[in-house]
Amino acid sequence: MKTWPTWQSGAVAVAACAMTLLVGGCGDQSPKSAKQDASGAVVSTATSPVQSADGKKVVRTVFVVGESGFDPPTAHDLYSSIVVDGIFDTLLTYDYLAEPAKLATKIVTEMPVAEENGTLYTVKLKKGVYFSPHEVFGGKKRELVAQDVVYSWMRHYDDSLKPVWRFLIDGKIVGMNAWYDAGKKAGKLDWDAKIPGFEIVDSHTLKIKLTKPDFNFGYVMAHPAMAIVAREVIEKYPNDAQSHPVGSSAYYLKEWTRGQRMVLEKNPNWRGGTWDFKPSGKDPHDEIIVKQMQGKPLAQIDRVEIYVIEEEQTRWLSFKDKQIDVMNIPGGVTPQALPGGKLAPDLVAEGIRLQKMVDPEYTYMYFQWNDPTWGGTEPHKIALRRAVAMAINRNEEIEVIRKGQAIRADFLVPQGVVGHKSDFVSSIQYNPPLANALLDKFGYKKGADGYRMTPDGKPLTFKYTSQSTALEREFDELYRKNVEAIGIRYEAEKEKFADSLKREKRCQIQTRGAAWIADYPDGDNFTQLLYSKNIGESNNGCYKSAAYDKLYEQSALLPDGPERDKLYMEMQKQFEADTPWVMGITRLRNQVIRPWVIGYKKHPVLLAEWMYYDVNMSKGK
Amino acid sequence: MLAYIVRRLWQIIPTLLGVILLIFFLFNVVGGDPAYLLAGKISNPEQIANIRKQLGIDEPYYVQLWIFVKQVLTFDFGSSWSTNEAVSSIFATRLPASLMIGIPLLILETVIAVVIALGVAYLRGSFTDRAAMVTCTVAQSVSILVYIIIFQYVLAYKFGWFPVQGWGNSFFENLFKFAALPVLIALVVSLAPNIRLYRTFLLDETNQDYVRTARAKGLSENRVMFVHVLRNASIPIITNLMIQLPGLLVGLFLIERFFSVPGIGREVILAVERSDFPVIKAITVYVALATMLANLAADLLYKAVDPRVELK
Repeated sequence: MKTWPTWQSGAVAVAACAMTLLVGGCGDQSPKSAKQDASGAVVSTATSPVQSADGKKVVRTVFVVGESGFDPPTAHDLYSSIVVDGIFDTLLTYDYLAEPAKLATKIVTEMPVAEENGTLYTVKLKKGVYFSPHEVFGGKKRELVAQDVVYSWMRHYDDSLKPVWRFLIDGKIVGMNAWYDAGKKAGKLDWDAKIPGFEIVDSHTLKIKLTKPDFNFGYVMAHPAMAIVAREVIEKYPNDAQSHPVGSSAYYLKEWTRGQRMVLEKNPNWRGGTWDFKPSGKDPHDEIIVKQMQGKPLAQIDRVEIYVIEEEQTRWLSFKDKQIDVMNIPGGVTPQALPGGKLAPDLVAEGIRLQKMVDPEYTYMYFQWNDPTWGGTEPHKIALRRAVAMAINRNEEIEVIRKGQAIRADFLVPQGVVGHKSDFVSSIQYNPPLANALLDKFGYKKGADGYRMTPDGKPLTFKYTSQSTALEREFDELYRKNVEAIGIRYEAEKEKFADSLKREKRCQIQTRGAAWIADYPDGDNFTQLLYSKNIGESNNGCYKSAAYDKLYEQSALLPDGPERDKLYMEMQKQFEADTPWVMGITRLRNQVIRPWVIGYKKHPVLLAEWMYYDVNMSKGK
Repeated sequence: MLAYIVRRLWQIIPTLLGVILLIFFLFNVVGGDPAYLLAGKISNPEQIANIRKQLGIDEPYYVQLWIFVKQVLTFDFGSSWSTNEAVSSIFATRLPASLMIGIPLLILETVIAVVIALGVAYLRGSFTDRAAMVTCTVAQSVSILVYIIIFQYVLAYKFGWFPVQGWGNSFFENLFKFAALPVLIALVVSLAPNIRLYRTFLLDETNQDYVRTARAKGLSENRVMFVHVLRNASIPIITNLMIQLPGLLVGLFLIERFFSVPGIGREVILAVERSDFPVIKAITVYVALATMLANLAADLLYKAVDPRVELK
């Protein structure tokens, strides 16, 4: 690792540069040492950045936003959830290499099978899963048992925590909501109560009974919010468990400078395990990963250093300066780092690897279903929404705003998520002339000012709500151009994000852009966005269709398979017939990886991959 | 003197009340409802209501205002709504980093700006004076963002003289390694306006009769400038210095953000983004208090510097 001069020598250097500038400019006097070998390849001669002073293997990564805290039910931001995932165990996890994402066991001996028509799951916990050491355990190793799972899941109903992930299990487990209601009535939750939906057969066997069939409950078991805590620790820190995470997974929180740096080290009680994954068959690099990692004990990396770096330039320079080993290329530097979509030659010369992946998500723009002009099922309103959907130029969004780092999303279930239909072609394509013709046909005539009016002669305005950010201003420019091309007046409404959320839940926003990233990689997580019973929760356009609801309810009871895929296709048709949204794009993620990081693959759903890859200390030398 | 100090301290109370009312009004009218931000991706009205209850923002306004007043009186602002960290802990852990940049900056910029201003004031009308003023005007016209981006790229990344970003655990490592470039950038940014300002203060004095008299008495130019002129120009310089003091708390937020310095300025930006009212309340009250106390200190310093000043 580079050693830095003291402030004095820095100041002297500044003065020297000033002098040099006067006589002809400062050249690149970087002390970063690199030389070419016989083949001309650049060989780094810097000291190893991946080995700590005490000989531990280190990987350094970056968060773009500060974390908030590490209690599973309350971790409301992605970055806190990543740390939660590295520290705590969930019952299930994801296969490291499989595409699309596939569930795998984590602390259970076998995959729980849906019994009794998807209403019962039997979970058999591995023996020898221990929490990392903490004073509350009195110096003894504390094993994770079935009661810990029950307690951890019950905590999602503790209102004092302001839990954010209750929806994952709300109303799903027999007796859970009744227990909560009784606790609310009594003014205190009974943590020792027996909930009918949890049957503890023995210390390592738990039966979970559901209120209705759910063949996707495995995804809930794999979600980081459902991670397992030790009750003693939580009770030791009743108001601040998020600052004292004690889990049983591969790492524990060694150091924490809030909003600046987190250091995780290997859990001394780590149970171990062997790296055993098969190539996905879709990514040629998987073969290399398997060769590098197969048979190794899990959690090769001893120490994970996470730095919070909000600014793009700082993040990128830190990576180029070898202070960061793995990161996502910031959007603003994409043209320099990926000219023509390929890794820049200087990065290739340094041995840096690029992994491109599609995030399991999409963006969309919703129309308010309750809006008297834009919402509803009357043919002229459907025509109006469809015309706007045909006028929005997503290719321009991808090229100009996303700098080529996105793909169009057309199907209700995005790429990489179970239920996605890759060969689907939407009936709604970019076609402004057709959009104009459609509006003409349904009586949206132009007034003296050149803008269209409603069929009954009232002013027609496309009011798009967003925040006052540079990115949103770019969208304003694009959308203004697109809707004005079909004669509709554009109005940009700016407000604070919290106010947008508040009005959205009350069905008061006419049009807004939104994004949904998978909580779990199953189509249900996306199709529920249009279910009318989710109005005020996740159905932010307040779309209401009896036909769609019926199809959704049928699909929610089915496991993945042709029968459910058929229903998804029917839902897609209903969606396009009504056009309650304009579908948007799916963003691409460009991970850059230093050559000494081996076995690394960014997983689309799994948040903390540290236990699955390694660093080659000799390569960093 | 004591009566004056007591009277000035007493005047802090109505000012602080005004600040409290202003923050309270702004937060409740334009601040946005934090419950919706804290509720997560999927929430229902019952959960939103629960969060509002937990935060105490479902209480009548007069109750919330009274709680705020009690917090100011006890200096206990509770915990951050977003991270649950005690506000007192936020200040205790973030303020040292901000001060580690702010204090060296204040000392260096004052000393350097005064010395250069004395020099150009002495050489008034010369090529050096005009060149310095043009340089200051140009330097002042460039945004701090440009300085940050260029200095970070050139001095830290290309030349490797400073770290690109970071902050450590050791006092000396932070001061001499991580704070060096942020201080240098802030210094370059602040020197230009201060040199121009101090030059004006000094020129006002060099035209005074007492300066002519001192020179007529045969005093050396050094003595005239450093003792007579500087002493008489020190009152507006002190005023300017004191105005800058509260800026030590939050004024360096951009630099903190670009260099990943865990300072209080960066925390304030986060608090505003998250509608984290306890943190916003605390920082606003502390900045208001710091401003008032700095003004009082400036007045007391006037008296110390110039015995002719009367404190009434």
